[in-house]
Amino acid sequence: MLTKRQNLMEVIKGGNPDRFVNQYEFMDLIMEAPMDLPLAPAPGTRVKNKWGITFDWPADQIGSFPMHDDEHKALKDITNWKESVTAPSVFYTDEEWAAAEAHAKAVDRNDKFVTAFCAPGIFEMTHHLMSMEDALMALYEEPEAMKELIDYVVEYELAYAKEVIKHIHPDALFHHDDWGSQRSSFISPEMFDEFILPAYKKVYGYWKANGVELIIHHSDSYAANLVPAMIEMGIDIWQGVMTTNNVPELIKQYGGKISFMGDIDSGRVDFPGWTRELIYADAKKACEECGKLYFIPNLSQGLNISSFPGVYEATSEVIDELSKEMF
Amino acid sequence: MSKIEEVKAKVEAGKSKLVPGLVQEALDEGSAPGEILQAMVDSMSVVGDKFSSGEIFVPEMLIAAKAMSKGVEVLKPLMTGDGSASLGTCIIGTVAGDLHDIGKNLVSMMIESAGFDMVDLGVDVPAATFVQAVNDNQNVKLVACSGLLTTTMPALKEAVQTIKAAHPDVNVIVGGAPVTPEYAAEVGADGYAPDAGSAAVKAKELATA
Ligand code: B12
Repeated sequence: MLTKRQNLMEVIKGGNPDRFVNQYEFMDLIMEAPMDLPLAPAPGTRVKNKWGITFDWPADQIGSFPMHDDEHKALKDITNWKESVTAPSVFYTDEEWAAAEAHAKAVDRNDKFVTAFCAPGIFEMTHHLMSMEDALMALYEEPEAMKELIDYVVEYELAYAKEVIKHIHPDALFHHDDWGSQRSSFISPEMFDEFILPAYKKVYGYWKANGVELIIHHSDSYAANLVPAMIEMGIDIWQGVMTTNNVPELIKQYGGKISFMGDIDSGRVDFPGWTRELIYADAKKACEECGKLYFIPNLSQGLNISSFPGVYEATSEVIDELSKEMF
Repeated sequence: MSKIEEVKAKVEAGKSKLVPGLVQEALDEGSAPGEILQAMVDSMSVVGDKFSSGEIFVPEMLIAAKAMSKGVEVLKPLMTGDGSASLGTCIIGTVAGDLHDIGKNLVSMMIESAGFDMVDLGVDVPAATFVQAVNDNQNVKLVACSGLLTTTMPALKEAVQTIKAAHPDVNVIVGGAPVTPEYAAEVGADGYAPDAGSAAVKAKELATA
């Protein structure tokens, strides 16, 4: 039997996998690494992160949100971004790194990829700072200032990457940046190529030049029109790909250049009334239509968890069952 | 190109700096405010159709809506008391438990540019607040409820049913990523639309039916 890592490589290289890659099994995510997550920690809390973005998680809600009313918006005028935005330090103490280092050391790298985690993404950072509306309009109205801001975020990401690489020597990177809604990308491919692609070429290029073999990018959305750009920036696996993208068709068109991880929409199976039968139906359809190569069946959720207890685990069991049926 | 044609083209292209000047020039040429407004409404419906068909994206729609609202500012003082252009008032909000508002805001802009007066209740809006807003505002023809989370679908259902129970003659439309036409029908909504462009079309259709 192939190890999880070997089996993954067979899938994405078009070789001979002996089973489906089961969701996130090949990534050992080093979540202990010190980082600046775009979240309030718990219901009923509000935090201002180091970029000056306030995240609020009202007690009766299921998640946290960046605040953009006049009082809380971190960047009110893009032309003044230099005065308003200061990146936090990427340096943490050895004590702060200790747990992450210990975790990375304990991983059998023959079995799994030691995986660094990065969120939010570069595009997300722009709308967390200034609201989605302002960020998107600024791409037209103040393109030069937006490019400067994006470059600044890139510099921060590169500096952070350097620290992560130094401390845990990751084999893989799992990087978030949501680029669309369920049925379309937020911005056109042309605009994406102008603003976002160059930024990620730098960031992903740097990780790859420093020992990272595998780039997994999360966008749980439609983004089929951005796949050529994903390939160009060096993404190996697009995680979160929703059924609205027509994944079997994407595999036909791009398999071998990039692989697709998802095609089981969290929105359809991860809800209070979830059942194993519903998960099985969606997972089976995904596996049958997408096939054994360049495809990893997975919930579209951006971590190895589900919103409702038991859904992630049940999905893993179903995928094991499908491996037995289909391999 | 006549000035009105130019207004139309520049709204579509989202040139918010140019539109107010062009609107003024069109007025100076003798065009009626209502005629200019109609031209802008028409270009927003082109924008809506292009968005629905995937030809343009969210930024293009945002800048077009901004350009139109700059043009409307020039017309507003000339049109007060002239309610003829309005299709009525539309109450809009994201349902209780849900904080997503990007889709709702786009829908609001498009329905407004189709000729409605908008009352935006924001996000996390309880069913009773929608009903209160219908009571508190004049000439309410439509309520639009947005929901982006599968967990808030019950809140969407409650909103529709509470509003319909209190005001059977007010139309309610619903939308948001997890909402399907079947679900909309099941909860008793009068309309559904998959995106902001078709939401404006639907709103107009219901108001003029
Ligand atoms: C951007 C985004 C956010 C932003 C929102 C910023 C904002 N100001 O709204 C942030 C980062 C803050 C966020 C937070 C959260 N999010 Co969110 N988010 C998204 C994302 C990526 C895109 C949504 C969006 O803005 N789309 C762009 C607009 C233009 O499209 P749209 O909303 O679909 O609207 C269009 C149509 O639906 C329609 N429409 C919309 N409303 C209406 C109304 C009417 C009347 C009509 C006719 C039509 C209509 O027209 C619109 C325009 O064309 C989606 C993923 C996705 N694939 O959709 C997740 C998603 C909706 N989020 C999700 C989740 C889980 C959350 C959080 C709970 C995360 C967390 N754990 O903290 C919190 C929510 C907290 C809360 N209580 O609400 C999940 C929901 C999953 C589920 N099972 O329901 C999604 C699907 C991602 C996922 N797959 O996990 N999110």
